[in-house]
Amino acid sequence: MAAPFWWLLWLGVASPLLVLAARGLGNLSLVPKVLDLAGASLALALAGSLLCLLVGGGLAWLAFRARLHPGWDVLLLSAYLVPPFVGALGFLYALQMLGLRPYGVGGILLAWTAHYAPMAYLLLRPALEHRLAPLLLACEAHGVRGGRRLRALLPPVLPALVAAFGALYLTLLGNFGVPAVLGLPAQVYTLPTLAYSRLFSPASPDPLGEAAAVGLLLGLLALPAVLLHSAPVGEPALRPLRPRWPWAARLGFLLFALLGVGLPLVGLLQRALFNTFSGAFEPAFSAALALPLVRQGLLNSVGLALLATGLLLMLGLLLAPWPEAARRLRRLLDLHYLLPGTLLAIGLILVFAPTPIYATPWLLLLAYLLNFAALMLRAVEVGLEGGVERLVGVGRLFGLGPRRAWFRIGYPLLWPYLAAGVFLVMPLALAELTLSALLYAPGAETLGVAVLSALNGGLFREAAAIGLLLMAFSLLLLLLPRRGVVA
Amino acid sequence: MLRIEGLTKSFGKAGVHQVSLGLGRGQILALLGASGSGKTTLLNLVAGLLLPDSGRIFLDGEDVTNLPPERRGLAYVFQDHALWPHLTVLEHLLLVMKEPRKEEALALLERVGLLGLERRRPHQLSGGQKQRVALARALAARPRLLLLDEPYSALDPVLREELRLEVASLLRAEGVGALHVTHDPDEALAVADRVAVLEGGRIVQEGLPAEVYARPNSLAAARAFGRLNLLPVEVRGGQVGWDGVVWPVEGVQEGPGFLAFRYEELVPSPAGLLARVEASYDGRGERLCRVRLGWGEAVVKLEALPGQEVRLAPVGLLRVFPR
Repeated sequence: MAAPFWWLLWLGVASPLLVLAARGLGNLSLVPKVLDLAGASLALALAGSLLCLLVGGGLAWLAFRARLHPGWDVLLLSAYLVPPFVGALGFLYALQMLGLRPYGVGGILLAWTAHYAPMAYLLLRPALEHRLAPLLLACEAHGVRGGRRLRALLPPVLPALVAAFGALYLTLLGNFGVPAVLGLPAQVYTLPTLAYSRLFSPASPDPLGEAAAVGLLLGLLALPAVLLHSAPVGEPALRPLRPRWPWAARLGFLLFALLGVGLPLVGLLQRALFNTFSGAFEPAFSAALALPLVRQGLLNSVGLALLATGLLLMLGLLLAPWPEAARRLRRLLDLHYLLPGTLLAIGLILVFAPTPIYATPWLLLLAYLLNFAALMLRAVEVGLEGGVERLVGVGRLFGLGPRRAWFRIGYPLLWPYLAAGVFLVMPLALAELTLSALLYAPGAETLGVAVLSALNGGLFREAAAIGLLLMAFSLLLLLLPRRGVVA
Repeated sequence: MLRIEGLTKSFGKAGVHQVSLGLGRGQILALLGASGSGKTTLLNLVAGLLLPDSGRIFLDGEDVTNLPPERRGLAYVFQDHALWPHLTVLEHLLLVMKEPRKEEALALLERVGLLGLERRRPHQLSGGQKQRVALARALAARPRLLLLDEPYSALDPVLREELRLEVASLLRAEGVGALHVTHDPDEALAVADRVAVLEGGRIVQEGLPAEVYARPNSLAAARAFGRLNLLPVEVRGGQVGWDGVVWPVEGVQEGPGFLAFRYEELVPSPAGLLARVEASYDGRGERLCRVRLGWGEAVVKLEALPGQEVRLAPVGLLRVFPR
């Protein structure tokens, strides 16, 4: 396709970020005041990434050595599927139950590790199987042990470790939900929550400009990690390695699931089901669902999730026969998938504030589409590169026209990958908070926003009840088949 | 029916350069050569999966050089089968037939020995069965020309030999021409009417299989068929000599070169060159000996025991290729 077309598209897709950068540069006077905060945010993201890498990488290593059946992954996936802010809410209540103070750095790191260590696992296990299995086999066959074994095994996995660290860092740096639940009430800020509070600060002379400046800082901190990001690895073949310490791997997985899902679940259940003062059994679900904000949020979240997923599915279907275009567009949209959502949201406000779609659910829809499109296109890409593109080509070679080749061969084979894309995007859209916390408006609230404002309004039991519903929905996804697409 | 003129495609190390070929109706041409010699690239150019930098391709007199693959009327049997995982055996055939008729498809399946398996999908088939499906699909398309890319390399030896003969006779019965890429000389000898040897993207020799085997015109052509000894020699006046025994040679007539001969080209002869048997072993149905000749070690088809000394002479004129 013509180069000018792609340039225009790039300009359109990148415009929120460009406008944000321009506006942020005009408010640089704010930067020195928040520099120490940016440093703290950076340190927190680095520490969290390291923690997740240690826990997730450790579990990956144990599972790799134990030749643990992939069925056990369900235990880790369950923690990963629970939306981070819901997990944070669960930890908040559970730790309060135990008489601990959950707010601040410790609570944030705990909630992050519970949610994102599985992401490190999902990124690293295939790398271990791909790269290390044959090398470990050679080490065992030739009696290479101890330090020499480490020297033989560590360098080949180093790129995967660095890439996983980069991905974790990007995610944690941009994460809004966990620090919003566990940091804001204690005045512990990260850059995304700082941008949020600046945007809604009544004391600020130019809230949008200040939020843009914070966003710019966030983008600068995120940029190096975007360059580290690597393409996903396919499904590995299992090697005939001897299982080692299988009990340790199983114990590790069980403990992780107990801590990462069990603990917040107990916290949420206790709050949602029992009266805080009398201790009597008194489920808060009907009270929660009676709140107008929750009803509106439920309606908007479900509608937006369905609409965004449906539109992205159509985009995937339309683009699949043009793999080169799909790849180019995905690379373009990676911008909004990899960079913190806070940047996209502030950028969209800046671009669309003068238009009628501002403060409507349509702006949220646009934000979701830009944020999640890369995920759906990645799913399509994995399918195309996993053989679908070639098998369609074989059909063409045998004389099938393009339409027939796609309808008889391409789409039926691509279907599982598209479904994987749907199951990736749908739960993210349903429990979205980062974008909607900044973009919501009266009548355009989401479930995430409803939870957050219930929490801020002291409606802890109602927040727990909605959190439980979101958690239950997320865990239902465990029953669905997954394929090929990771993180 | 297939004519290739000056086909060139720069394609990393496996490109092709100035390739010209002709193939008559119902003929099978084997493309032989080491990996990276451009065999598969040539096949993909004919298929239209790649477009050439220059040169032309004609099918039945029609210039198809710039036609997309689906308009060329070809069929392709891939090394890894490239079957469609979601379709049954029968659906594979029906999908590619110009006028899908179930009876015709079933008759074809019977011919390749797949009757009774028509409802199975690829993952329910063995390697040999998958290969037969790939083949039946190719025949069902009633192609003008069949392209085969190392179709039997994943099969066990018995199945491989069985299938390649079956397929060759099937193709001849249907009058379908084929371009058959292989690096297995036995396969080329067994199925092909003609052989073209590729090296570095160029055709170094083309001709009848037995002719190319017996009279290779280059080191690459000689190597392509295996069973080859190469000994460093000095040629003087069109002869090589050792210990007073001289053999006239063709090829290099003066200076250094490689004396090239196949295992069966030296035989015991009282006037021959003295050779000592270093080791002996059973080849496939023949006795082979590793012998020390004047210029070095060589493998010779010979009934002898280690330690024995024999006199050997060539059965015809041996060739010397430039070093």
